[in-house]
Amino acid sequence: MWREYSSGYLKNNRSAAVSVMTAAFISSLLLSLLSCQFYNMWKYEVERLRAEGDQYALMAMYLVRDANDEAPRLVFPLFLLIMGLASFSLIVIIHNAFAVSMQARIHQFGILSSIGATPRQIRTCLLQEAAYLCAAPILLGTLLGIAGSMGLLALLEMLAQEIEGRRASVFGYHPLILLCTLLITAITIGISAWIPARKLSVMTPLEAIKNTRELEPRRKCNSPLLSLIFGVEGELAGNALRVQRKALRTASVSLLLSMTAFALMQCFFTLSEISTRETYFEKYQDAWDIMVTVKDTGIGSFGEAEKLRQIPGVDDVIVYQKAQAKSLLSEENLSGEMRANGGFFHDSGKYVERDGEFFRVSAPIVVMDDASFLAYCEAIGALQRTDGAVIRNLICDVTNPDFRHPQYMPYIKEAGTTRLVARTGGVAAEMSVSDCAETAEIPVIAYTEEVPVLREEYATIDKYELVHFVPASLWREIERRTGGAEEDTFIRILCREGVSLEELDTIQGEIEKNLAGAYTTESENRIREYETNDEKIQGMLLVLGTFCVLLALIGLGNVFSNALGFVRQRKREFARYLSVGMTPGELRKMFCIEAFALVARPMLWAAVVAVLAVGAMLKASYMNPAEFLAEAPFVPIGAFVLSVGGTVALAYYLSWRRMRGMDLAEVLRDDTMM
Amino acid sequence: MNILTCEGVSKVYGSGDNRVVALAGIDLKVDRGEFVAITGASGSGKSTLLHILGSVDKPTGGRVTVEGTDLSELNQTRAAIFRRRKVGLVYQFYNLIPTLTVRKNILMPLTLDKKKPNEAYFEEVVKTLGLSERLEALPNQLSGGQQQRVAIARSLIYRPALLLADEPTGNLDQKNSGEIMDMLKLSNRNMKQTIVLITHDEKIALEADRIITIEDGRIVGDERRR
Repeated sequence: MWREYSSGYLKNNRSAAVSVMTAAFISSLLLSLLSCQFYNMWKYEVERLRAEGDQYALMAMYLVRDANDEAPRLVFPLFLLIMGLASFSLIVIIHNAFAVSMQARIHQFGILSSIGATPRQIRTCLLQEAAYLCAAPILLGTLLGIAGSMGLLALLEMLAQEIEGRRASVFGYHPLILLCTLLITAITIGISAWIPARKLSVMTPLEAIKNTRELEPRRKCNSPLLSLIFGVEGELAGNALRVQRKALRTASVSLLLSMTAFALMQCFFTLSEISTRETYFEKYQDAWDIMVTVKDTGIGSFGEAEKLRQIPGVDDVIVYQKAQAKSLLSEENLSGEMRANGGFFHDSGKYVERDGEFFRVSAPIVVMDDASFLAYCEAIGALQRTDGAVIRNLICDVTNPDFRHPQYMPYIKEAGTTRLVARTGGVAAEMSVSDCAETAEIPVIAYTEEVPVLREEYATIDKYELVHFVPASLWREIERRTGGAEEDTFIRILCREGVSLEELDTIQGEIEKNLAGAYTTESENRIREYETNDEKIQGMLLVLGTFCVLLALIGLGNVFSNALGFVRQRKREFARYLSVGMTPGELRKMFCIEAFALVARPMLWAAVVAVLAVGAMLKASYMNPAEFLAEAPFVPIGAFVLSVGGTVALAYYLSWRRMRGMDLAEVLRDDTMM
Repeated sequence: MNILTCEGVSKVYGSGDNRVVALAGIDLKVDRGEFVAITGASGSGKSTLLHILGSVDKPTGGRVTVEGTDLSELNQTRAAIFRRRKVGLVYQFYNLIPTLTVRKNILMPLTLDKKKPNEAYFEEVVKTLGLSERLEALPNQLSGGQQQRVAIARSLIYRPALLLADEPTGNLDQKNSGEIMDMLKLSNRNMKQTIVLITHDEKIALEADRIITIEDGRIVGDERRR
């Protein structure tokens, strides 16, 4: 009997099933995607550990733990936590889709209950229906989730292929994962269906027949804003939405979350893009075209600079190595402005070490090939010598937290020499200043505000850095005393202005060919890096945007099912309006207002959250709001909202078309509609 | 003077074997200020007639005129405006809008027309119907009798040409039924309201000035009592 009852209902009420099927499909898709991603994460770790021969860690990946191994193994707990959270969130969101479909038949269940159907029978009937409706969407969602995971992995692999030393990740799947995914999905959807089924099955027959829970408001409804803007139709639409609040909860929550997430994501990426462009791409636009890192090679051992300068298309080559030392300064060495600004008073001891009357500050050394150093001296109007250093004599006002608009002042008084000592561990570092026989005291060729054209940042974290530029020939003499040289040497290459990506690729290839064999090198070019960065951002936007769309789809499924189903459920309500003289045009207006309010409400909340979040981000990043506004992602957010709005409008248009055919007299005659 | 005229009104549902004749050539004239009861057994066609008179339904044949307006010529929008201004409909199950207060329910036909109520008339109606204290309540906070009084107040607020009541006491107990009938009589006498009441209850029908009996979609009796 129940089987016939259910199949008859489902056959004649396809729209009621749409929301349930959509919810099941999207839930299984998300859970399958997550399981598959985690399995591949686990597989990647196992393969990596196997290659590295770390047997203990490998055993731990199979949940075999050494009693003495206290290292945390996060993959499984993280998987369980995220799956648990995902399942819980889905239950919260989708159980309402089941509730709407079930609520539509409260009256019928009331009748069945009044003739002796037990709550258990009603519950079983509802759960069997849910299982029947969800079986195909779950399978489809699971398969698409696997396909989606495969695509996502390929995308991530493409984006991460540039990362040095990373193993390639190959997609894999296991039947056990399929079983686990199906089990988790079944439990999630089962709980979502069971919650409303239980509520409905325990209603008294009278309650169910009268169906008072759903149709009438418990409290007075007020929709002052809609009423003010749209008049009586606005008030009725607002009240109707309020009465349907429960039925539309899935839609409201998921539309709110998806719009908020989408707006925040777009704003965050726009801000981040502007920031990266300003602080990196635009700042170093003219500072480099190709960068080569020569691995494990000191500048003294690299002799190919001239050869590189001869490569067609290359305009300028600077070979340089970085080193870290300390500089010894006394209060008297500081510039008047620096002293007036408190000297080293603002440092808590983190960056500046006090040593008697002296201060040790970080002294990054940029060792440049002699030719480049001489060209640099010429460019800044200093004597062209290779026996001394050029010092960047700038310090920013550390009391000004606006890192985007720093204010600079001269750091030290100009003098003939500068004293460098080893940064750590060296002999000089352990001696007091007076004992520093090994201190490298070198002549200063010039103090300057202009730095060589390199893709380097100075004094960004440690504001007290005193940067020294020295020629390679001088470095050979002082290297033993100061030490602190980094392992690699860098080559900065500039090409002609307006060089194309193809030209850069060709020159880069030529450089690699010239250095191959003798050196281990890594190289990158500016335009390709910009494009790769752009692709990475687009990739992340795509992945996160997909999640937002999936979230919105749950809500839209609910809107469709509700809008297409409510013609049946709300016939009496519409008949009432028509019977007191509301025209079809006014009823249509009411439909439009309902659809509008359904989209406008989450849109407004999302806008409020986005404005607050962007305000906070702008404040934290010291970015000018006008800069953000000029590039604010109005178009993608507008397109997303319009798509959601368009889909909601379509749902309401279709229900309006159904409603138009309603026979008012028949509805008013039908007492069971009460 | 006739306020309502029906000439050969018929209504047929379905076709072929499923053809059901609900009304078969109804001729009827109602004078202004008359209180008419239409009686008949269940399925006799009385509710169909009332829906046609209220422009809720259209006849298959014939002509219905209310205050000179031919209802068959009205499109959906004009029919709705006609219902709003010229007809007050009262149903067995009240058909109040559950989300609106009693006051807003009563004023609904005026609100739809963006008209302000005549406060004195509004006060008179709600006072007559004993609703002055319950104007801010929601329909589900009222008893059945009170809800029906709200429905009557709503039907009277536009001073319609015709008040059509379909079994208005069908869902009420004896005491409330009596009260509702008193209200209808009061509005008929004091406000000269034309009323067409549908009932299958003979006792209720006896309260009217004129009783029309319908059987199988035809008028089989027309008795003027006053």
